[in-house]
Amino acid sequence: MNKTKTVEIKHMSKRFGPTVALNDVSFEAYRGEILGLIGENGSGKSTSTSIFAGMQAADEGEMFFLGEAWAPKSMTDALKQGVGMIVQESGTVAGITVAENIFLGETKEFMRGPFVDRKRMFAEAQKALDQIGAGHIRAEMVTAALDFQDRKLSEIAKVMAQNPTVLVVDETTTALSQMGRDIIYGIMNRMKEEDKTVIFISHDLDEIMEKCDRLTVLRDGQIIRTFTKEEFDADQIRTSMIGRELSGSFYRNDFDSVAGEEVVLEADDLCLGNQLDHLSLKLHAGEILGIGGLSHCGMHTLGKVLFAAEMPEAGTFTVHGKTIRNEAEAMRESMGYVAKDRDVESLCVDASIKDNISVAGLDKFAVKNFLILPSKEKKYVDAQVEALRIKCRDADQYVSALSGGNKQKVAFSKWTGRDSEILILDCPTRGVDIGVKQAMYQLMDQMRKEGKSILLISEEMAELIGMSDRLLVMKDGKVQKELLRSPALSEADVITYMI
Amino acid sequence: MKTLKRLTALLLVVVMVFSLAACGSKESGGNDSAQTSGPDDSQNVKIGVLVSDVTSAEALAFRAYYEEYIQEQYNVTFMYSDELADAAAEASAIDNFIANNCKAIISFASADRPAQIEQCEQNGVYYAVATGTLTEEQYEQYKGYEHYVGAIGPDLYTEYMAGYNMAKYYLDQGYTKFGMFGGATPYYTEMHIYRAAGMLVAMCEAGNGTYMGANDMGSMIGAIYGAGCQLEPAVIGDVELVGYVAGYDFDDAWFGKLAAVANDPSVEVLLAVGSGQTAFAGFKQANQKLGDIDCYTADSVALMESGTLDYLAGKFSASIGPVFIAVLSAVQGHPIRTEEGNAFAISQGYWVATSAEQAKEYFEVDSSKTEPAYTRAMLDTLYGASYSDLEAFVQKYSFEEIKELAK
Amino acid sequence: MGNDTLIRKENRKAALFRLAPVMGLVFLFAVFLILAIIKDINIPYSFKNIINQSVVVVVAATGAVFIYTLGSFDISLGASLCVSALIGAMAYNVTGSVLVMLLVCVGVAVGISLVSSVLASVFNLPVFVTTIAMLSLLSALVLVLIGANGTGDVIQVPAAAVRGINNVWFKLIVMVLYLAFCIFLFDFMKLGRKEKFQGGNPVCAKLTGLNGKKLAIAAFAIAGIGVGLGAFLTITYAPTLSRNTASSVGMDIIISIVFGGMPVSGGARSKIYSAAIGAVSMTLLNQIMLTLSLDSGVGQMVKAMIFILVVYISMSNHKGNILPR
Repeated sequence: MNKTKTVEIKHMSKRFGPTVALNDVSFEAYRGEILGLIGENGSGKSTSTSIFAGMQAADEGEMFFLGEAWAPKSMTDALKQGVGMIVQESGTVAGITVAENIFLGETKEFMRGPFVDRKRMFAEAQKALDQIGAGHIRAEMVTAALDFQDRKLSEIAKVMAQNPTVLVVDETTTALSQMGRDIIYGIMNRMKEEDKTVIFISHDLDEIMEKCDRLTVLRDGQIIRTFTKEEFDADQIRTSMIGRELSGSFYRNDFDSVAGEEVVLEADDLCLGNQLDHLSLKLHAGEILGIGGLSHCGMHTLGKVLFAAEMPEAGTFTVHGKTIRNEAEAMRESMGYVAKDRDVESLCVDASIKDNISVAGLDKFAVKNFLILPSKEKKYVDAQVEALRIKCRDADQYVSALSGGNKQKVAFSKWTGRDSEILILDCPTRGVDIGVKQAMYQLMDQMRKEGKSILLISEEMAELIGMSDRLLVMKDGKVQKELLRSPALSEADVITYMI
Repeated sequence: MKTLKRLTALLLVVVMVFSLAACGSKESGGNDSAQTSGPDDSQNVKIGVLVSDVTSAEALAFRAYYEEYIQEQYNVTFMYSDELADAAAEASAIDNFIANNCKAIISFASADRPAQIEQCEQNGVYYAVATGTLTEEQYEQYKGYEHYVGAIGPDLYTEYMAGYNMAKYYLDQGYTKFGMFGGATPYYTEMHIYRAAGMLVAMCEAGNGTYMGANDMGSMIGAIYGAGCQLEPAVIGDVELVGYVAGYDFDDAWFGKLAAVANDPSVEVLLAVGSGQTAFAGFKQANQKLGDIDCYTADSVALMESGTLDYLAGKFSASIGPVFIAVLSAVQGHPIRTEEGNAFAISQGYWVATSAEQAKEYFEVDSSKTEPAYTRAMLDTLYGASYSDLEAFVQKYSFEEIKELAK
Repeated sequence: MGNDTLIRKENRKAALFRLAPVMGLVFLFAVFLILAIIKDINIPYSFKNIINQSVVVVVAATGAVFIYTLGSFDISLGASLCVSALIGAMAYNVTGSVLVMLLVCVGVAVGISLVSSVLASVFNLPVFVTTIAMLSLLSALVLVLIGANGTGDVIQVPAAAVRGINNVWFKLIVMVLYLAFCIFLFDFMKLGRKEKFQGGNPVCAKLTGLNGKKLAIAAFAIAGIGVGLGAFLTITYAPTLSRNTASSVGMDIIISIVFGGMPVSGGARSKIYSAAIGAVSMTLLNQIMLTLSLDSGVGQMVKAMIFILVVYISMSNHKGNILPR
C-alpha cells in the first residue's frame, strides 16, 4: 500500500497493575481506508486506540500521526488536532444540553461578552446533528432525556463537528438500532471517500468483514495477524481471535421446542406512556421468548415492567399466577433481570465481584436468612465465578477492572447463582466477544432445557432467530407479530414487521 | 487485611488499658514544709487557663498580661484552652491540662464551675476562679476543698453596683430616656443580669417608679428571672427605658434592632451591660451618651477621645495577678486560706473612667508589659501571705489605690 | 509466575493504601508517645483522656457510617445529640433513674432519625434535605427545652448521679459493645451488605430487589442508637447541659468518618472501623497540637493539612485502578 500513513503505533506496551493490556503492539492505518480491529474482550483493541486518541498514556512505545511524533495531552487535544474517538460506553454528561455536550470545553468559542451565546451554540450543534443524519435530536434538549442511542449519536456529532482526519469507532454499533448503525456506516464511508482513516472496532464479524479494508486481530494484548480484504475468512479470523478452533454450535441447533404448557409469566393489556400499548404476552416454562424491534419500540421498557422495576399505567401481569409489585417480590418468584445498561443498571462497578454476586443471593446462603458467614459467602461466590468462568484475579477484584464480557458474566451470575427460573435478559451479549457470547448462548440453552424460562430482548436479529422458541416483534409499544422458531426464519422476515 | 486492622486496633486498646491500670498511683501533693521567702523559680510550673472567650479585647488583654508579663517574670508556663463552648469542653480541657502535668488551673470559663472544682479536686490539681466568684451556695459547698484555692473578681453585688453607678451617673445629670443593651442576659448570665438590675433599680429610684413591679435589688433580680430574663422597654415613673436589645446574634436582624434603638430620637443615653462599643458605637447619634462596662483597650480610649464613649467601667488586665500568685503559692506548698482554713472569695471592682484623659492614663498602665498595674514586686508580697493581707491588697483595686500600693 | 508476583505486589500496594488511615493512627500514636516522653506528659492520664474525648464521637460516628455508606449525609446529628441529651437529663430529673435516662436518650435520638428518614421517604426527597430541615428544628427545640426548664440557661443532672458511671471502663464497655453491634450488622448481616450495595449503585440495587427507602430508614435508626448513646455518655462526662452542648459533635462526626478512610460517596468501600479510627486519630492530633502548645489557628491549619494528606492517600488507591475495559 503506497498511501500515506495516518496512524502509526510502534512497540506500544501498557499495564494496569498486574494486567498486561498491551504487549509490544505495532500497527498502522492509511489514508482512505477502514481498518478493523477485532479480538476478544480485554485483547487490547480499546486500550491501544484510546491511547492514540489521548484518553490515557502508554507505558512504552512510540506513536506517529501523519508522520509526526504524536503525544496528545487529552482526548480534547487529540480531537482538535484531528483524531476523534467514539467510545463504547456513554461519554456524555447527563445534566447538560446536547449542544453543551457537543461543544463541551469549547463554550468560549460562543462567548459574547461575559455570556455564552446559547442561540448560536444551539444552531451550530443542530447543524452538527443534522450533518450526521441525527436531526431528530434537538440540540437544546437535556442529554439525560435522551435514550442510549441518541446519546451515542450526539457524541458522534460532537466528534464529527471537529472534522477529524482519523476516527476511531469503538464497539459503538452493537448498541445501536439499524438506523443508528446506518448513520455510522454512512460517516465511515464518507470519511473513506474523503481520503481519511477510520479504525473500526467491533465484535460483529460479519459487520467488520463487510465494512473494513484490512483487519488486525489482537489477543491478550498482542497483535496476532493482519488480514487483507482478500484474505478475509470468518473461520480463520475467529481462530486467530480465540487461539483455538471454536468447537460446537454458536446458537442452539434444535428446532423442537421443549417448552411446556405451563405459563410462568403472563402480561395482559399493559400500557405505559408511548412505550407499551395494550401489550399482552405469555412466557412458558422451558421457553426462550425473544422480543425484537427497533430501539425505541418499547421492548427495553417491557423488560423493566415485567421485573416490576417500572409500574404500568394500565394492565396487569402475573408471575406464577401472582401479581408482582416490586423487584423484591419478583425475586421471590424466582425472577432475574439483566438490564441493557450493564454498568449502571446491572452492576455496581465500584464493588467487588463478590459483592455483586452475593447481594442477589443473600437469601440463598445467609444462615437463618440473616447471618452471613464469610466461608459460606465465599463458597457461593466462587461457585458462580467457576461456573461462568469469570476471568479475574479473585472474587475480591473490583468489577470496574473487568473486561466487558466478564462484567456481563458477573451480571448473569447474580441471577444464575440464585437459580432463577425466569430470566429477563435485555441485550445480554452487547459488547461481548464471541467466545463469551457462545458461552452465554450455551448457558441459556442449558437453562431452557432445565425448564427455566427466558425473555430475551435483543437488537441483534441473528441472536433472536438463533435462540428463541418464539419471537415477538414489537413496534410502537405493541406486539406486531409473533414468529415461531423455524429454520426458515430469516432476518428479513423479522425486519419486515419491525419497520 | 481486616485481620491486620483488627490486630492494630486491639494493640492500641491493650496499650491504653495497661496504661489506664497504671492510673491508680497518684503523685504526692505539694511540699508543705517549704519556706515562704518568695516564689521558687527553680522549677517550672505549668498552669492551665480555661477560657470561654478567646477573641474579645478583654480576653486578649488578660492573656497578654499572663503570657507577656507573668510568664516572663516567673518560671511558669501557661497553657491556654481553646474557646470552650460547654461543660463537656471544659471537662475535656481540664483533662488535657492534667495530662500535660499542669499543677494548677485558673478558670475564666463558667459553664459548670462546680464540675471544674470537683474534677480538679479529684485529680489533685489546684483550681482558682479569675474575674468572677462562686455563688454563695457553691462557695459553702466547695470552700473546704483542699485544691480549691479561691476566687477573685467582681462578686454579683459589685456587678450590680457597676450597673447601678453607671445609670446613676447619667440620671444625676438629668437624663431620663434610655436605650439599653442587655448582653447575655437572655442566656441567664448572672453577671449581666445583675448589671442590668443595677441600672433598672437606679432608674426606679430616680424616676420614682417600678419596673415589672420591682424597685430594689432583690425584687428586681427576682422579676428579671421571673420574666425568663427577657426584658422589655417600659416607662419607669419619670424615667423611660425606650428601647432594649439583648443577645449576641451578630446577624442583620440584631444589628437592625440596635440601630433602631439608637436612631430613636427620644433616646438620650445608651447603656450597655457589656460589649456596648460593639453594639452601639456604630449607631450612636452625636447628641446621645454611651456608657459601657468592659475593659481598657486602645479602641475604647479612642472612642472616649472622640466623644463616642463617655463612661467606661472596665476591668484592668493585671486584676488577675493576685489570683495567679495565690495559685503559685498553693502549688509551691503555701496555700493562702481563710482563718477557718477555707478557700478565699474576694471581690474586686472596676476602674471607672468618665473622661478621655482618665481612660488614657488607665490604658497606659494597663497595657504596659514592663510596669503593669500589678508588678512582680507587688505580687511577691502576697506569696505565702495571710488571707487578710491578700484581701486588703485586692480590695484596694481603684487606680489611685494601686498607685499607692506600688509605692 | 511473573504475573503472580505482580499480583502479589499489586495486592500489597492496594493493602497499603487501604491501611493508610490505620497507619495514620499508628503514626500519630507514635508521635504522641515520643512527645509525651520528651514533654513530660502524664501518659496513663492521657490515655484516659483520649478515651474520654473520643468516645462520644466514636459511638455517634460509627452509627453514622451506616448513613454515609448509603452515600447520604446527616447534618443534624450534633443537634440531635444535644436534644437527646437534654430530654434524657430532664427524664432523669423526673424519675431519678439512670436507666430511664439512657433509654430516653436512645429513644429520642432514634425517633429524630426516624422522622428524618421517614419524611424523606414520604416526600421522596434525598434524606440529607430533611436533615437540613431537622437541624433548624432541633436547634430551635434546644432553646425551647432550655427555656421550658425554667432554672436558667442549663439543664443539669446532679453530678453525683452519674459519677459512678463517669469512668473509662464503663465508657470502654459501652463503646466496645456498640462497635461490636455495628460490626456485626455491617459485616455479618444481610443489612450491611445491602447498605453497601445501595450506596454503591442505587439504580442497580433497586434492580436487585433492594428497597432503598427501607435501607435508609434502617441506617438512620442505627445511627440514632449511636447518637443516643453518645448523648448519654455526654451527660455522664459533663452533666451540665446548655444550648452549646455537643455543638462541635456534628462536625467532628463528619471529620472522623472521612479521616478514618471512609469514601464520601459511600458504597462497597465503606468501612465500619473508619469512624473509630478517625475519631481516635483526631483526638490524638488534638493532643499533639496541645502538647506542642501550637496556637489554635496554627493547630487548625496543621490539622487541615494532615486531614487532606490522609484522605488523599486513602483515596488515591482507587483513582488509578480503573481499566477502560
